[in-house]
Amino acid sequence: MQGSERALEGLQRISAAELSYMPLEGMLYELLERIRRHVKADTAAILLLDRERGVLVARAACGIEEVREGVQVPLGRGFAGRVATEGHPIIVDNVEQADIFNPMLREHGLRSLLGVPLLVGSDVIGVMHIGTVTPRKFNGDDIRLMQLAAERAAHAIDNAQMAEQRSLTAILQRTLLPATLPSIPGLTITSKYLAAESGIKLGGDWHDVFTLPDGRVAFVIGDVVGRGVVAACVMAEVRSALRAYAMEHHDLATIMSLLNELLLAMGRNRSATVAIFALDLETKQLCVLSAGHLPALLLNPDGEHRQVGRATSPPLGVSTHGEYHTEVVTFEPGSALLMYTDGLVERRGELIDDGLERLGNALRTAVQKRGTRLANSVFQAIASQAPLEDDVAMLAVQSLPLGSHLEMKFDASPDVLASLRRVIARWLAEHQIVDPDRFDITLACSEAAANAIEHAYGPREASFGVDCGYADEEVCVNVSDEGTWRPLEGRERGRGLMMMHELMDSVDVDSTPRGTVVTLRKHVGVRDAP
Amino acid sequence: MLLKTEHFNSVLVVMLPTDIDAANAARVGEELIARATHAVSCLVVDLSETRYLDSAGLDMLFRLRARMHQRRKRVHLAVPPDSPLRRLLEIVSADAADLPVHAGVEEAVRAGTAELRVRRD
Repeated sequence: MQGSERALEGLQRISAAELSYMPLEGMLYELLERIRRHVKADTAAILLLDRERGVLVARAACGIEEVREGVQVPLGRGFAGRVATEGHPIIVDNVEQADIFNPMLREHGLRSLLGVPLLVGSDVIGVMHIGTVTPRKFNGDDIRLMQLAAERAAHAIDNAQMAEQRSLTAILQRTLLPATLPSIPGLTITSKYLAAESGIKLGGDWHDVFTLPDGRVAFVIGDVVGRGVVAACVMAEVRSALRAYAMEHHDLATIMSLLNELLLAMGRNRSATVAIFALDLETKQLCVLSAGHLPALLLNPDGEHRQVGRATSPPLGVSTHGEYHTEVVTFEPGSALLMYTDGLVERRGELIDDGLERLGNALRTAVQKRGTRLANSVFQAIASQAPLEDDVAMLAVQSLPLGSHLEMKFDASPDVLASLRRVIARWLAEHQIVDPDRFDITLACSEAAANAIEHAYGPREASFGVDCGYADEEVCVNVSDEGTWRPLEGRERGRGLMMMHELMDSVDVDSTPRGTVVTLRKHVGVRDAP
Repeated sequence: MLLKTEHFNSVLVVMLPTDIDAANAARVGEELIARATHAVSCLVVDLSETRYLDSAGLDMLFRLRARMHQRRKRVHLAVPPDSPLRRLLEIVSADAADLPVHAGVEEAVRAGTAELRVRRD
């Protein structure tokens, strides 16, 4: 014991403070080098366990090139594999007669080996071993010294891995969640993401907002089961796959079932709860489909809240037979929709219904206060009552009445056209303007917008404005851009302008060096009150 | 892009998306041309789910017609009688000549099949 204690003094010099600043690789190398010198061994190496793949991977070595060669040893196989599986020290007196998996040990001419497991609590996280090129009988002192060093190494590795996971997951989360939310006229969209502060509780929660090819706005909220980097990576894959499927498939059930197949095929044994909401701005129809996710809360203009999107199917990645049924509700102007992950409502020793009730009340209060950041207000109200134990993703959408004057700004990209038409059609509907007038005005605005987009060349990010006004049974729309209309070329351009003239009573194009304004006017017949 | 299709012998029916405009017209057009293989003699463009079709969409249809005619294939449109697209096609009626419009897919397929029979006889 005396010998071991003395020998360890050298190791102790690597203090706790040093450990936290030194990169893990350097620290492990230093540790190995010291122990190798103390026990007069020729090589020393540390292999860490990759639990997902069931292999030991060389992480640090001295006297032998294990790391550079990328040595991997399956659990239970060879020398290191056995140390890890059995969880206690193993001595090999003569390499020639032993079952050795890693050919490098023999190639190096090693004769004797001593390996000890790296333990965190009772979990094996890796193996540390030393070797000599001359035959040697390792004794109890050698084993004890190795165990003490292994304890130190395991502690440092565990700390470093936890810190690495935390920062990596945090970066992933920041990168993967939308940096900005799209601005959609008539809607106020706010979001909140918060990772619980204590321990590695960062996980696979996410939210997303994007426009579908049919002009509907998609809201997504989801949660990949589990914590840490793997959950965050799976979340990233599911999130992008969902977007990709949504670009090609227009019904939510197909998107869900493809995602389910994807998660099963990934073979990571990860499941996810997901809810997709698709809002048609024109018809106010909100399609909801939930796979194992908690229901969203819909607050009506009268202040009553109810649950929408109760899960009709199990989480994704659980069963091959998923049947997905879409629920359809109306999202009236003046309503608010709150989507969230379970961390917001689940508390230990409490029924989920109580959590949902508390959330509903917080939502109503926050909407009544007319704050600008609804998701944040609701979050603050909930978090102030009791600390949250889990990470949380939230998405809040409010539908606002459009009023008699509608002023909008869009990015100069053809992708905005579908939602532009939906908003204008909704605005017209709110003023009891029906087809064919509604269709004509909507399409004419869309044509004018398409022209504005086409002209909006330039080095900076271009945008264009659409102002709609309704007075004295006349609708007047101004579409303004900062580009210059070039002379009409080709039949297509001519056709767009010709269509505007046919669809509207008057079309005026006012082109100046600073930009172009197209003014469209149409007298409309108003539907009689029923 | 995934467009729903259906074959009735050599008549191919392709259902178009809810919106066809500058954002997707070119892609939809390419997709239609790619699907009209040599085994297809008549293309029925199903617009019954299409809510908005702008000038870029119309131009795509006219180009498609020209391409198909070069290959001796016919193009028929299915547009429900209550669809606002009817009005649009009237506005561009001069350009839309030789692009027969039918109330539904069934009628369009029937008309396309009848034409083939006439051609064969």
